[in-house]
Amino acid sequence: MTEATATALHDAVAALVTWQLAAPVATLVAVGLPALLGRPLAERTTTRLVGAGFATSFLAALLTLAALAARGFSPEVVHLGTLFSVGHHATTIELVADGLSVPYVCFCTGLCWLVNAFAGTYLHREPGFTRFFILLALFGTGMNLMVLAGSIDVLFAGWEFLGISSTLLIGFFHERRNAVGAALRAFITYRLCDMGLLIAGVVVHRAVGSGDFERLFGGTWPHATCLIDPTTALVVALLLVFAALGKSAQVPFSGWLPQAMEGPTPSSAIFYGALSIHAGAYVLLRCEAVLDAAPVAGWLLVAIGIGTALHAAVVGSVQTDLKSMLAYASMTQAGIILAEIGLGLRIVPLVHVVSHAILRSLQILRSPSALHDRHELAAALGGPPGSGTCSILGLLPDRFGRGLYRIALERGFEDAAVQRFVIRPVLSLLEGAQAAESRLVAALGGTDPAADPRRPDRDGGAT
Amino acid sequence: MTPLEPAVLGCVATCIAAPLAAAATLRLLGDRVNPRLPAAAAIIVSLAAAVGLAALWHSGSGRPLLFGARLAGGGLVHVDGLTALLLPYVAVVDLAIVLVAPRRALTTAGVSRLLIGAAITMATMATAHPAALVVLWGVSIVSTWLAVRATLGGRPAARLYGLAMTAALACMALGTTLMLADPPWLHGSGAVGAAGGWLVAVAVMIRKGIVPFHSWYPALFSGASVATALVVTMPQVATYTAVRLLVGHADGVASELIVVSQAALITAAYGAALAVVQRSARGLVGTLAMSQSAMVLAGLSGTLPMELCGALAVWVSSGLALTGIGLVVWALESRAGRIAIDSLQGRFADAPALAAFFLLFGLASLGFPGTLSFVADDLIISGSLDEQVHAGIIVIVATVFAGIAVVRGWFHVFGGPVTPDAPQHVILPRERVALSILLAILFGLGVYPGPFVSSLEQVAASLLAVREHHLPGQTSEGVHP
Repeated sequence: MTEATATALHDAVAALVTWQLAAPVATLVAVGLPALLGRPLAERTTTRLVGAGFATSFLAALLTLAALAARGFSPEVVHLGTLFSVGHHATTIELVADGLSVPYVCFCTGLCWLVNAFAGTYLHREPGFTRFFILLALFGTGMNLMVLAGSIDVLFAGWEFLGISSTLLIGFFHERRNAVGAALRAFITYRLCDMGLLIAGVVVHRAVGSGDFERLFGGTWPHATCLIDPTTALVVALLLVFAALGKSAQVPFSGWLPQAMEGPTPSSAIFYGALSIHAGAYVLLRCEAVLDAAPVAGWLLVAIGIGTALHAAVVGSVQTDLKSMLAYASMTQAGIILAEIGLGLRIVPLVHVVSHAILRSLQILRSPSALHDRHELAAALGGPPGSGTCSILGLLPDRFGRGLYRIALERGFEDAAVQRFVIRPVLSLLEGAQAAESRLVAALGGTDPAADPRRPDRDGGAT
Repeated sequence: MTPLEPAVLGCVATCIAAPLAAAATLRLLGDRVNPRLPAAAAIIVSLAAAVGLAALWHSGSGRPLLFGARLAGGGLVHVDGLTALLLPYVAVVDLAIVLVAPRRALTTAGVSRLLIGAAITMATMATAHPAALVVLWGVSIVSTWLAVRATLGGRPAARLYGLAMTAALACMALGTTLMLADPPWLHGSGAVGAAGGWLVAVAVMIRKGIVPFHSWYPALFSGASVATALVVTMPQVATYTAVRLLVGHADGVASELIVVSQAALITAAYGAALAVVQRSARGLVGTLAMSQSAMVLAGLSGTLPMELCGALAVWVSSGLALTGIGLVVWALESRAGRIAIDSLQGRFADAPALAAFFLLFGLASLGFPGTLSFVADDLIISGSLDEQVHAGIIVIVATVFAGIAVVRGWFHVFGGPVTPDAPQHVILPRERVALSILLAILFGLGVYPGPFVSSLEQVAASLLAVREHHLPGQTSEGVHP
């Protein structure tokens, strides 16, 4: 390849990668801004715009893939600029196009495009129609940002977009108490585990002077080598594993996932069947070199992944509604995928992610029509189709089976344990502190003005 | 005097005089005119002057401009990067308050007090003179106390505020007197100057609502009007005072500043944690404001430019975002009374636009990418971890709690079963304009933060230079601060 061709190819890849990110961002602004100004776009325009954003991104990713294939999949780092810098600390916007990120963007945007088309009909005349598509565009932006990230700062930004869009879509039907509770539960889990990624970012900055992956690991995925010392690598790897546990709903942070199905079906499909639940796996695959340099973190991941898979398989087998069953099935597969990553496999988990995501999103999208599908199947077969189910509980001796059944009904006591040992003590402590504050205020100032929040507004003046 | 200096002095004078002139006009005209118009006009003039001042300062040499420096330990009018940053910020906050204020809250007396308060705050932000700071503290405290007391049901809050501020003012007056007698920013200062520094530190802690002197802070949000609470707390006069009087001691970072910063760190985490269990929307805003403003003070004691830049960025980003949340809460309250958040209120269907603004301001306050708070959190967390690991961890814990509190608050205000036939609370154009201005600043500076962060870096460098440049033999007419 001549130098001129290489330069042209480089420029083309840089432009295409920028398009992959710019398309959903433009969509987000185009749909979000009119809504914020009180002039939301028509349903059809909204669907078409968001669809066009995903389609553009998808096509740009396909072309990038072709360009990368032409040069043997050597990674291409696209430096979009420095967001800000102070002294030695610089937050750069670096994207990377390689054998991991570009196929993954094709997969993500393709799936988002399909779900966008499905949701346009599914949510027709739903009061939150525009809101759904704004959040879908936000999710697409976050997903592309995270997947294409060439630095831990950009990765964190995309990760945060996923978290908030996921939370708001779980609470999409805000008038339902369960939906609001589920959204809060998911957000608290995310926020807690996000600390891992946040601190990992700071540790990386301190270790190598910037958040760029180029300085963190060298070589081509999946054979990259870690460039930081083993101790730092272990710390970063453990923090990344911690961050991944929340998004991928692994024990003990898995309680939010079954509740997350409160959201609209298209978002459940794309978030908890396909993309969001695998965000943790993607981050670990991206930082595989760090994980390789820290075997302890790898083994921890294997233990948690297998533990979660067993837990979810057992609990999922006693669920009585389809969406919960699918949630636990997703959790099982996510656990196995993380275990695969922990074992040092790279291509296998990637294939597993893609195949699981496609299957599960199809199942979730069809779940509202499950009875209809079954009737059609029965009509076609001339009788009811066989149940074909095989529960893990049925394979065990009766005595163990019953005990396990009770445990499964209580969802492995995971929620109860988290409630008893984490949430309740923390809330008691905080509520006790708040009560003490109120007493102090009442003692010093008379009655506590915060004590009756429902009193009528009694503002006397502007100041 | 350089050619720049008269223009800068003119801008400072305009910033302060415009609101005062509007207040005097309102007093003269009484109820014959809608108070919103002259108030908004005056604050827009102040804003223009403040922006002009910032432009002038950045076009200059970057050295502080002092006027009347001979009077005592600091310039009577002191313009540096901090002033250039804070005057526009204060004007934007005041403008948003005036635009969003419900019509029934806009009495002539109330708006006059708000304008006088704005003028006092801007005057405070443009001086480093210890005596002037004491006088301005006193005037603003009395003005605020009268405003809180005049609020129906606000007497308990006024009592608590009065109690706290009397102590703060006494400490401030005595402390500055001792500091002037034995300036700690000169080498060879003794115990008297040190005692003065400690008294000023206590005054700062009380006025900023730092643990253990914090109880008045959320109570003010619950008992006073939203405008009063925002006008008093968002400019962070006490932080400004700490920068002017405690930064730049001859022996490096003043030990009292270190103690204050550690207490501020605890306050940041404690306030954010308390915000998670608040039962009213105002309590939520109050505790979040307490937490975020404490984070600013904690960062300002740092010795790294990154940490200082982060603190300054948090100052602006959290101030604008919490002003936005406070104003949304006020707009909702003006339609439907006080808002509890101990259960789901189901107001989304009533006020979808206000729900969107609340959410966006919430995101802008919790370090969401694309907002100024992302930049601010990145800088302050990285800086804190670089300097003291425990400080960085506490800041992270505070941001986690604050995020949970904001999202819980949003869901509890807007989520839940909708009341059948509930009235639609359409957002008013002036409310939309005001809230959009705040959002545009937060998101604009978040997407393109480079120039803003560079200007913060200059301010941080000048603050650090003050610490480093105190050599033996310098007089009070020298560089301090």
